Amino acid sequence: MSTTKLSFKLNGQSMEVAIAPNTLLIDLLRDDLGLTGTKAGCREGECGACTVLLDGEPVNSCILPALKVAGRSLTTIEGLANEEGDLDEIQQAFMDEGAAQCGFCTPGMIMNAKALLNKNPTPNEAEIRESLSGVLCRCTGYRKIVHAVVTASQTKKSHK
Amino acid sequence: MRDKTEDKRTVQVLTKEKLDLEQLLAAPKDKLSVAGHSVTRTDDLQKVTGKLMYGADYPQEGFLHGKILRSPFPHALIKAINVEKAQELPGVAAVLTAKDVPGRNGFGAILPDQPVICGDKVRYVGDGVALVAAETEEIAHEALSLIQVEYEPLTPVLDPRDALKPDAPQIHEKGNLLSSNKLRKGDIEKGFDEAQVIMERTYQVPFLEHAYLEPDISLAIPQPDGTMLVEGPMQAPFTVRRNLAAVLGVPVNQVRVRQIHMGGGFGGKEDAPIDVGCRAAVLAHHTGQPVRLSLEREEVTLQTCKRHPMIMEIRIGAKKDGHLVAFEGVIYDEQGAYAGLGPVIPPAGGSHIHSMVMMPGPYQIPHVKVDAHLCYTNHPYGGAMRGFGAPQVHIAHEQLMDELAQELGMDPIELRRINAFRLGSVTATGQVLDQSVGLIETLDACAKAFKWEDRYGKSQYVDAKSSKRRGVGIGMGWYRTSIGTSGDGCGANVYVHEDGSALLYSGITEMGQGAFTVLPQICAEELGVRMEDVRLVKPDTDMVPESGPTVGSRSTTLMGNAIIMATRQIKESILEMASEMLIVPIDRLEVRDRRIYDRENPGKSLAFKEVAAKCMAMGKRLIGQGWWAPPTASLDPETGQGNPYFVYTYSTHMTEVEVDVETGEVEVIDYVAAFDVGKAINPKAVEGQIEGGVAMGLGYALMEKVVLKDGYPQNLNLQDYLIPTTLDVPDIEPIILEEENKFGPYGAKGIGEMPNIPATPAILNAIANACGGRVRSLPADPENVFLAIQEAGGPPER
Repeated sequence: MSTTKLSFKLNGQSMEVAIAPNTLLIDLLRDDLGLTGTKAGCREGECGACTVLLDGEPVNSCILPALKVAGRSLTTIEGLANEEGDLDEIQQAFMDEGAAQCGFCTPGMIMNAKALLNKNPTPNEAEIRESLSGVLCRCTGYRKIVHAVVTASQTKKSHK
Repeated sequence: MRDKTEDKRTVQVLTKEKLDLEQLLAAPKDKLSVAGHSVTRTDDLQKVTGKLMYGADYPQEGFLHGKILRSPFPHALIKAINVEKAQELPGVAAVLTAKDVPGRNGFGAILPDQPVICGDKVRYVGDGVALVAAETEEIAHEALSLIQVEYEPLTPVLDPRDALKPDAPQIHEKGNLLSSNKLRKGDIEKGFDEAQVIMERTYQVPFLEHAYLEPDISLAIPQPDGTMLVEGPMQAPFTVRRNLAAVLGVPVNQVRVRQIHMGGGFGGKEDAPIDVGCRAAVLAHHTGQPVRLSLEREEVTLQTCKRHPMIMEIRIGAKKDGHLVAFEGVIYDEQGAYAGLGPVIPPAGGSHIHSMVMMPGPYQIPHVKVDAHLCYTNHPYGGAMRGFGAPQVHIAHEQLMDELAQELGMDPIELRRINAFRLGSVTATGQVLDQSVGLIETLDACAKAFKWEDRYGKSQYVDAKSSKRRGVGIGMGWYRTSIGTSGDGCGANVYVHEDGSALLYSGITEMGQGAFTVLPQICAEELGVRMEDVRLVKPDTDMVPESGPTVGSRSTTLMGNAIIMATRQIKESILEMASEMLIVPIDRLEVRDRRIYDRENPGKSLAFKEVAAKCMAMGKRLIGQGWWAPPTASLDPETGQGNPYFVYTYSTHMTEVEVDVETGEVEVIDYVAAFDVGKAINPKAVEGQIEGGVAMGLGYALMEKVVLKDGYPQNLNLQDYLIPTTLDVPDIEPIILEEENKFGPYGAKGIGEMPNIPATPAILNAIANACGGRVRSLPADPENVFLAIQEAGGPPER
């Protein structure tokens, strides 16, 4: 099969890959680049476990053709902690609040919350629930996830 | 008649274990330093950074891709099958049919009645008729399309009541009735004669999908020494191994099974991994190459087990003062195409017997009669799902209690308070509840936090113009700890090393419930070291002792006790050695936070690691092996009388809902749930179980149903099978109460399954309280709520 070159920024690093034109973003990430932190739960854009940030906006990588990221900046769960390994406030809050159970939705939840806090650093509970409504979790009942995002927003504020 | 030999054995076990535990649990509970405290989960860092490996995350190089050809008919004979074209497709390594299964062509958690590959007949649309292994998934898909199968369709059986009719088509050779069970207590006729109020109702619940976020996957890897390694997400590695050995036709010790971290299980990954594991292993056996069998979401819905649907007919009799006197129930329990975890075959007690035992609810009733029929149909098969047959019957008895309260003109919590189990109560099976019964305490705590007295009886429209009306509801429940009957043993090994660090070997699996954190907590507490000094070895049947399945809310209690027993053998060495080194009698020594102290002279102490090193140098035993099986007794087959489970968890839930009486839409706006858990080992994780369980119960109440049309599931993906989102679940308030279980580690009993059970009827009761409409056939989606309001004579007046 013929391949197409694709250039984009992944977790802050410029990169170029050659892929089949019909490759989905999730398969590029997981199969070609070995970034398996992004999960596939339904492969039809319904469960949100595959959420990554494209120029800061949350997208479902399981239904997005990889070529759509050409020239753009992509962030996955692997790119959230800084180079020294310091966790993002949201990651730390998920641990402190016990917001992860089986953990399968956790990367999607955290990426979604990251997009929210970038845009709205002090969301109220309703805004958090609205923003995370596209990511399904079968384990937690969402309470500790919502609380973790509140905690993360407060931590972020106190650092500034 | 009860089997006296059985009873004697049980009594012996009881006495021995009791003595052991009382000795072991000598440490005062208020002094616990690791157990009983909220700790961060051991695998959280990997989860939040995306580093935790699930089955689908393992590199695929070197693996063939497996695929299953499924039946297009719910019930049909296979007349001919031709795989030649598929075999000739380049890149195809194997195309297998029934004749290619090397050993027993059947698997199942209890009864092996499901073919690995169907030969003569198919019994549901998820049935596999051929297996393919190919170099890529695309080639495997294409190969499936080249297999030609000639079927002779048969009339499908789609209702458990139809299955019992004399002229019903027979799904299995032994007939459509898989199991019929009886519960008899007192004299049911006398009970109804004494009753002043008698009510009869029928309730119906559908098939549910587990909807764990991680689809099923199995990796089967033939080893150079001829053994077979099978890895994947699974709750029951030993059950998978037992089935693999039979299907491959080899001894159990020729199969090695390793659990990969699960993206949710909820009971479904007790059955499904047997299914995908056996099929992957048969392909690997034939090709001699590693095989990866990964199901797509739609395949998970088509193929794997579901929550049993039931039709429940109940008659209840009470005195005018609210005392219950008689309860009669009939359960038509739909098993679907295969036995799964349904049937009652001692020593494995299936979900069916659990439904029967639980059906009269957590209430003292002198006269009880239940008949429970488990029937095959041509639908997907019923398996374990959080609550294992208990949620269904709670939906029935908890709604009936509210309907009865209304008939008697009583507050529903008062009716429950009169009849609820308390210390010394006798259950419908004749079991005396002689310890750890905190049901009334959960009722009181829940009512206080929810302010029930201020809120009940005040259902009203949100405002003068709104079509939304609010109401409150209650649900009560009980749930076993352990599998019950017998054969429920749990083993643990603990090794302490010369530097004081420890390895804990356990076959209990992690699916998000937190076992990989709670078990090291118990081990660290008992050894007297810190949490970080204990590393848990992940379930691997070549490494860990038989532990049974991770089901039945049994892990913390049973494995906790096994760990305590294992550590005792090590502590004997440690304390003997410390006694010699400190010249202090053993009974004055205490181990805490990595130090061994003289209780009477705390300044006199040694580091745990120093003593461990000395033990190692002197050849003292630092290896412990623990084994614990709960005290249980079988049920009498004629009367259902006996002690099926050794302890129960209790719970009360209260909720407020808002019902739009014009559209039937329901919003749950407030929720309090109180639990008697014996002892919370990791309280934060217990809260997580409660919150997640309530959300699952909410889905059961309001939106979940596998829609079946002529035997075909219609809602295969999560776009059509709806589960609750952040916008559906309110901010749940969990309340944890602790009525000590004297047979549990620090008093603990199970919590995994209890939380969703009372949630569903609490919400249904709140809906009825808000709008007057009662939904007796689930789910209470807008259409059914709207119809229930019409049936009740229209929306309540303003």
